[in-house]
Amino acid sequence: MNRCMKKGMPGQLRQQGYGEMCRVPGRKYAVIYRAVLMENMQYAANIAMGFFSYFVFIFIFIKLWEYIYRTPGELIAGYTKEQMIWYVMMTEMIWFGSNTGAVARQVTADIRGGNIAYLMNKPYHYALYILAKYTGEWSIRLPMYALLAAVIGAAMVGAVPGFRLVTLPVMILCVVLGVTINAVFKICISLFSFWIEDATPFQWLYDKLILVVGTVFPIEIFPVSLQPLFKLTPIYTVCYGPAKLIVDFRAEKCIEILSVQVLYLAAGCALMFLVYRKGVKKLYVNGG
Amino acid sequence: MLTAVRRQLRVCMLSVKYNIMREMINPVTFVTNIIFMMLNNATILVQWFILFRLRDDIGGYTMKEVMLLWGLTAASFGLSRVLFARAFSLSELIVSGKLDSYLVQPKNVLLSVMTSATNISAIGDFLYGLVLLFACGFNVGRFFLFLLFTGTGTVIITAFALILGSLSFWFVRMEMFGNQMVSGMISFMTYPDGIFRGVSRFLVYFVIPVGMAVYHPVHIMTEFDAGMFLEVTGYAVFLMIAAVIVFYRGLKRYSSSSLMEARM
Amino acid sequence: MYAIKAEDLSKTFRVKVKEKGMKGSVRAILHPQVKEIQAVDNVSFSVEEGEMLAFIGPNGAGKSTTIKMLTGILYPDSGKVDVLGIDPTKNRKQLAYCIGTVFGQKEQLWTHLTPYDNFRFFGAIYDLTDKETEMRIAELKECFELGAFINTPVRNLSLGQRIRCELVASLIHRPRVLFLDEPTIGLDPVVKENIRELIHQMNRDYHTTIFLTSHDVGDIEKLCRRIIIVNAGQIVLDDSMEHLKKCYLEKENVHSSPLSLEDIIMDIYRAERRATGE
Repeated sequence: MNRCMKKGMPGQLRQQGYGEMCRVPGRKYAVIYRAVLMENMQYAANIAMGFFSYFVFIFIFIKLWEYIYRTPGELIAGYTKEQMIWYVMMTEMIWFGSNTGAVARQVTADIRGGNIAYLMNKPYHYALYILAKYTGEWSIRLPMYALLAAVIGAAMVGAVPGFRLVTLPVMILCVVLGVTINAVFKICISLFSFWIEDATPFQWLYDKLILVVGTVFPIEIFPVSLQPLFKLTPIYTVCYGPAKLIVDFRAEKCIEILSVQVLYLAAGCALMFLVYRKGVKKLYVNGG
Repeated sequence: MLTAVRRQLRVCMLSVKYNIMREMINPVTFVTNIIFMMLNNATILVQWFILFRLRDDIGGYTMKEVMLLWGLTAASFGLSRVLFARAFSLSELIVSGKLDSYLVQPKNVLLSVMTSATNISAIGDFLYGLVLLFACGFNVGRFFLFLLFTGTGTVIITAFALILGSLSFWFVRMEMFGNQMVSGMISFMTYPDGIFRGVSRFLVYFVIPVGMAVYHPVHIMTEFDAGMFLEVTGYAVFLMIAAVIVFYRGLKRYSSSSLMEARM
Repeated sequence: MYAIKAEDLSKTFRVKVKEKGMKGSVRAILHPQVKEIQAVDNVSFSVEEGEMLAFIGPNGAGKSTTIKMLTGILYPDSGKVDVLGIDPTKNRKQLAYCIGTVFGQKEQLWTHLTPYDNFRFFGAIYDLTDKETEMRIAELKECFELGAFINTPVRNLSLGQRIRCELVASLIHRPRVLFLDEPTIGLDPVVKENIRELIHQMNRDYHTTIFLTSHDVGDIEKLCRRIIIVNAGQIVLDDSMEHLKKCYLEKENVHSSPLSLEDIIMDIYRAERRATGE
């Protein structure tokens, strides 16, 4: 979707002025991405400070599962101890690595603070601008946490059972899709600030859903009656899917998860653009 | 002596009262903050229901004991941050030279500083702790023990935060470290001690003061043990005195400091 | 009878110096370079009880550092301080009961509460009973004309009203010495005049010693009979206002128009700057 077509904008003029940029669609987002990436590189040391919380959390879970698994090779909900710990490490890696300011707070703050009026008249799509910024942020964080997880895993848990290097690119793709879907949903929720005073409580509910149901345990551990329900929520595509693939790679599972992710991403983006357009329209009618 | 203590208490009470009054200017936000914090804590119960489906005991705890553990942690941490919120952001005050205004007041600097702010969502923590206590079934003896251990827990948590914050008197950039240690402590407090063995057991009992703040109290509430009881109260007093000494050592350094950052 | 006596006060600050670039950062960790700044250098002076003193100087001259040492916030490296017979480094708390402080750029009030609530709080800090506090508030309310806004939250007050409240809060316990660090900063001329009048009145009615720092020549001229000018941590002038003006008028008679106090102070600052080679 091209921002140049926006209603109330002298499209012709814009097209000429930014001709260079518009020729390659998406180039401007790449530029935004790169700028944010460069900026965040400088905060690498600050990001590393968060490692401690991650480590404490994982440490406790290692101890917890060591206590609960009594015999070597025991299976709980189809997972070995190593798989179970790696599962938590991977979901928490996604959580810590992608929990950044752009999607969590900026959209709500922009809309409530009125800053949106300036941002939406720029020659880019606001939602894609936020997405590009967010991607720039996690591009630093996520690899850092991945490295940390690998070190902790190697030192305290042992290798992922049955891990093969060949499947790594698919796993990375799956994680990237997961964090992007997560961002799209969070932006959608934040955009509700156009209508309600503060969308933060809904953000919070969504985060809780992901954190409590999605990160600590694999879906298989929940009562059988609840499992189909969870599979319908974003949990399946955001954290369960990628983590499951990493700890227990199977080709048919991989195809299933990837296709569900693509479906979710398409639906999520459609929803995001729709909500944004309605919201902006409301803003034009009522004033900022 | 006694009048001095009474007057000091009067100032502290007034300080806490004013802090809460300030937050209540917007009553909707005030109430939502508290309720959301309670809900926030309650969601973690899901995790424990799942875990207890797998095993009847986890780290030697039953569901009821986990609830007591959680209740005590929430109540102590909550009370600590309602009454002494600034103990948790002491570093910031030291680094930016903001202790000055407390130094021209004729009252105890440490108490004035600690009570100069409050954390509203912490009221939710405290209330949630009480809710969990009653959810375990009412029992007069346990109720009073719980209140008492909330007191010792509050002292231990505050003292620990205070010691970490005071490190900023000597070292630069201790702020993040302190915050991480405090949140680390809270994480350990919400899991049964039985899962920690060997080195990690030593860690939770002797490095971060989790054992004396909550583990011992939970054991005492399950089965009373006079020896353990003395250990807990003794430790709380010890840590409090240590924190006071560290703070005042630091304050002396602050006053005679020759480092200029924000002190001109 | 002296209210304040400072003898050979000195305070040195150390500032870390970092050279430019990555190389400099690394070197700063390995061999930290420290520059010493003599903020206050062998300063001696005394202030009589009931006196109004202007303690002025260019930015960074050591004014605030001196006030901090007089009030017990900072300890001097060497020298002796005596305020109302009390050593601030040893009996800071005892001293606090007898002095009041207003820092124009720092707030001591709770901004979300009303002035009245604030005064009640400061009453409790200085151990006044509720009855004493009420009486004192009534008295100061009258004097400072706070009646119209004593029940309005401080954050909704104008700057002038706020400074008046700051003053009242620091006077609640009838301090014998009042330290004012730039009390009229950012105020409009009418409000400034009003504040000065109030300070003057305080000094007259209660014989309060006033120790004032300000960049506003009006403050100094209208309020103080004595002036101390500091520069680079040292006292360069300690004189009565009257004498200062007379001297300058005689010396600088070549000027066609009479010199204002502002001109005189500027002259001294400039001469100092030349002398210290800045």
